[in-house]
Amino acid sequence: MQRLFNIVRAFKEYVVLALLTILSLILLSLNDNSQIRTIRAYTVGFVGLLQSATSVIPNVFALERENTLLREQNVSLTDEVSRLREAKLENDRLRAMLGLKEHGSFHLVVADVVGKTLDLLRNTITLDAGENEGVKANMPIVSESGLVGRVIATSKGYAVGQLMMNKEFRSSAKVQRSRVLGILAWNGGEYLELRNVAKTQDVAVGDVVMTSEYSNAFPPNLRIGIVVDVTEHEGGLFKQIRVKPSVDLATVEHVFIVTAVPQPERGRLETGTSR
Amino acid sequence: MNRTARNIAVSLALVVLQTTIVRMLSLEGIVPDLLIIWVVYIALTEGQLHGTVWGFCIGLCADILSGSFLGLSAMTKTVSGFVGGYFFNDNKTQLTLGTYRFLLIVLSVSFLHNLLYFIIFTQGSEIRFWEVVFKFGITTTLYTATVCVIPMFAFSRRLSL
Repeated sequence: MQRLFNIVRAFKEYVVLALLTILSLILLSLNDNSQIRTIRAYTVGFVGLLQSATSVIPNVFALERENTLLREQNVSLTDEVSRLREAKLENDRLRAMLGLKEHGSFHLVVADVVGKTLDLLRNTITLDAGENEGVKANMPIVSESGLVGRVIATSKGYAVGQLMMNKEFRSSAKVQRSRVLGILAWNGGEYLELRNVAKTQDVAVGDVVMTSEYSNAFPPNLRIGIVVDVTEHEGGLFKQIRVKPSVDLATVEHVFIVTAVPQPERGRLETGTSR
Repeated sequence: MNRTARNIAVSLALVVLQTTIVRMLSLEGIVPDLLIIWVVYIALTEGQLHGTVWGFCIGLCADILSGSFLGLSAMTKTVSGFVGGYFFNDNKTQLTLGTYRFLLIVLSVSFLHNLLYFIIFTQGSEIRFWEVVFKFGITTTLYTATVCVIPMFAFSRRLSL
């Protein structure tokens, strides 16, 4: 302290000059005229220059604080991105569904999948639409990508749907390109099967399979899937055709139920004739 | 009358003179700066510290009395007192005051004072700095130095007695 006092005493003229100059500058800053505004602008520029020059020197505490803040922000933003991505996907799905609903010729009821079994031979989904919405048994279940299955049971507010990947599921189907007909079924595994297609008939990998006009259970021309494999066994009469479903049954979340059972008159006639 | 009281009295008198009567000596808007001569005189006779402090006080009085740009004269006269104090020599005070040295010191300090004054005064205005320095700074300096001849001769006469 004494040493500091001695230094100040030794340079008292300079100290007094500095103090009085600072005091003068403070008085100058009290003025509000163009000169002072310009000097203030210069001062701000100079201080900014100094700050930018000294900003390269890292401040450990500030860095730590900034790092913590950035981590928190990162977690928050990651969460937000995740939610936005989910919203975008849902938006895309709903847009596609809306397109189907607007352009399709069927009367559709929207339903969300609230339950699902995919590891059994009788795979089903539970939907949050039931009799209150006009849903009845045997109504087709579709999505924007194609056929999903059909309703097998209903309650007031819920319906249970039989997926295409169900041992008991059957549908008349056709190959879009060559109009070859067959019976769609599932025998376990990753793909569906198009059965009863003779070896002589034209079916190739990549062909699109759709519901046919012969089906009384499903509206015609609903997309079912794509042929991924065609095999001919020696001694057999039919081709073994494997079809990959257009709808990813494992991830489907929103579906439509076609509430109008197609051609009831035809159903009654066919049922009556067959007796 | 002690020295401080004398300084206060003379300073106040000169500030009043500078802002009133000296204006009558105006030549094309140029007036001599009596206060600079007084600040340099204090710095040469009492030292750098006193020159600085008195420079601030006199400048502040001038600012208050003129009512414009508070702090500008205070700062420039503080610096003037400080610079004038560099020529302080206790043994040669009368010799300095009574010869052309006084004139030269006032000339240089006054020029520095005007330079500093106009650097700040011309900021943010349409007035060009060097134009003002040549038109007002140098002429004021020369006029002040001319007026300074009077006290210089007075001190010279005292020296010769």
